[in-house]
Amino acid sequence: MLKTLRKWADRLIGLSANIGALGLMVEVVVILVDVTGRFFGKPLFGSQDMITMAMVILVFGAMALCDRNGGHIAVDLLEPYFPRWLNRIIDIGAALLGALIFVFVAWAIWESAKLSVMLNLSTNLLRLPKAWFQWALCGFAILTALGMLLRALELTVSRRDLRRETDTAL
Amino acid sequence: MSGEAIGLVGIIALFVLLMLRVPVAFAMFLVGFLGIWALNGWNAAMGLLSSETFTLASSPELVVVPLFILMGNVASATGMSRQLFNAAYAIVGHVRGGLASATVIGCGGFAALSGSSVASALTMGRVSLSEMERFKYDERLATGVVAAGGTLGILIPPSTGFVIFAILTEQSIGRLFLAGVLPGLLLLSAFVLAVTFLCWLRPGYGPPGPRTSTTEKLRALGGALPILAVIVVTIGGIYGGVFSPVEAAGVGAGFVIFYGTVTRQLSLSAFWQAARNSVVTTATVMLILIAAHMINPFLALSHIPSYVGEALVALDMPVLGTLLLILLMYLVLGCFLEGFAMLVLTLPIFFPVVLSLGIDPIWFGVLVVLTLEMGLVSPPVGINVFIVKSVAPKVSLANIFRGVFPFWIAMLVTLMILVAFPQVSLFLPNTMFN
Repeated sequence: MLKTLRKWADRLIGLSANIGALGLMVEVVVILVDVTGRFFGKPLFGSQDMITMAMVILVFGAMALCDRNGGHIAVDLLEPYFPRWLNRIIDIGAALLGALIFVFVAWAIWESAKLSVMLNLSTNLLRLPKAWFQWALCGFAILTALGMLLRALELTVSRRDLRRETDTAL
Repeated sequence: MSGEAIGLVGIIALFVLLMLRVPVAFAMFLVGFLGIWALNGWNAAMGLLSSETFTLASSPELVVVPLFILMGNVASATGMSRQLFNAAYAIVGHVRGGLASATVIGCGGFAALSGSSVASALTMGRVSLSEMERFKYDERLATGVVAAGGTLGILIPPSTGFVIFAILTEQSIGRLFLAGVLPGLLLLSAFVLAVTFLCWLRPGYGPPGPRTSTTEKLRALGGALPILAVIVVTIGGIYGGVFSPVEAAGVGAGFVIFYGTVTRQLSLSAFWQAARNSVVTTATVMLILIAAHMINPFLALSHIPSYVGEALVALDMPVLGTLLLILLMYLVLGCFLEGFAMLVLTLPIFFPVVLSLGIDPIWFGVLVVLTLEMGLVSPPVGINVFIVKSVAPKVSLANIFRGVFPFWIAMLVTLMILVAFPQVSLFLPNTMFN
């Protein structure tokens, strides 16, 4: 059961990271086209809008993979001095706390997206609806939270910490 | 409970969570959110969470972070780091300690492509450690020079450390980048001098390598030309006012991708992996930044920074004394905290004090980033030392720390020079922007 869940979670996390990487490529291409265009007196219209919104996608698209690979910075100074059971409890607790934080982030942004729809908020030049990107952020945040919950479940049930398994890193 | 008491409880809770190995971003989120809830109510906390998250994730200034990380990752994947090392080796490899000096110069060159110290240490370590082992370099010198040289990554622009400092203190990224150029070169020279001194003191530490012919020198230098082109385009572009830092980052990233594709040194899978690694690193940085923007208003509301400021003023020390005290605190904290986390946790407290004392914020930024560098090689949590350990597993951690020590002294001397002569940091930004 856990293995099947992990398999599907990894696929979704991989897809999410690929979307994030695609966002980064959009940034590079838009800047290159804008700078080249400016050289010829025709800068890309709305480049700033595209760059800032692609940034939302790339940052939160990669969040689930960041957690899955153990990318969050922690002060592990005392880890060797803690008993194993305490380290395990801390790992589970931190994963649950992370999941809670991302659920809150998704909730807060969801509420903000409702306002954006009501007020018809959009980017300055291209008039891209702000809510689209807020919903995307919510989706990525929920995926990250689910990934953390699954990690907590794995740590509790099978004592597996996939962040330490470099060979299985996505 | 008063605001001050809530602030104090918050700081203690944050410290406990950090010591319990809770990720820095999660700890700051939790303490910041609960603190604002306690001081200003639920709606204020939720409002701040939604506004700060989206505003920072879509911040145009922060676009430089993923782009410069991508530039470094792609440069590493295309073998540019080896070309840099080869060029430096062709020039100085035949002198005593030449390979170690070439490593420092290579690290300096790579630092101009990448904003990350860890990436610099890892990349140059892979390239140079085997060479130094082949020429029977002392393992302490070999590993120490890679760990220390790697730290140049966050001083020589483009630097992630400067970007974070700029965002947290509302300073110009361009000015900070330019301010890092001369101190970076000064530190690089200090490292080379340290290598030379060590090899003069103990000749067996770094035997000279074979002399290269003029043709080999020219070929090696020619190999480094694309790297020079990237540096000229990015840093020169910012200095010349041709590009904004974001545009320079985009153009630089585009250039290395183009170079890797044309020279067929960058496969599609390696490129995609570099892009994915870049967004993952960006996610790590951004989550901490968002969390910092949750905890900073809480600290401000609790008036803790103003109390620290008043306490420092009450010491009645001269400005220089206060500055040295703050730097000393950074050096001590750097031994225990990850540099980036230390920056976001301490700047809201120290920066208002620095401004009230009339200290130039750009100069202060350079000094702080240098102390941050020293933390990267200070025991017990010197991240660069662990990175070098992963590349040279046979060398003990104790020996790597011993090897780093002379370079740590070189960093301390550089820090003192930069404190004594602010012009070294301020000359370029002042000539360019004023």
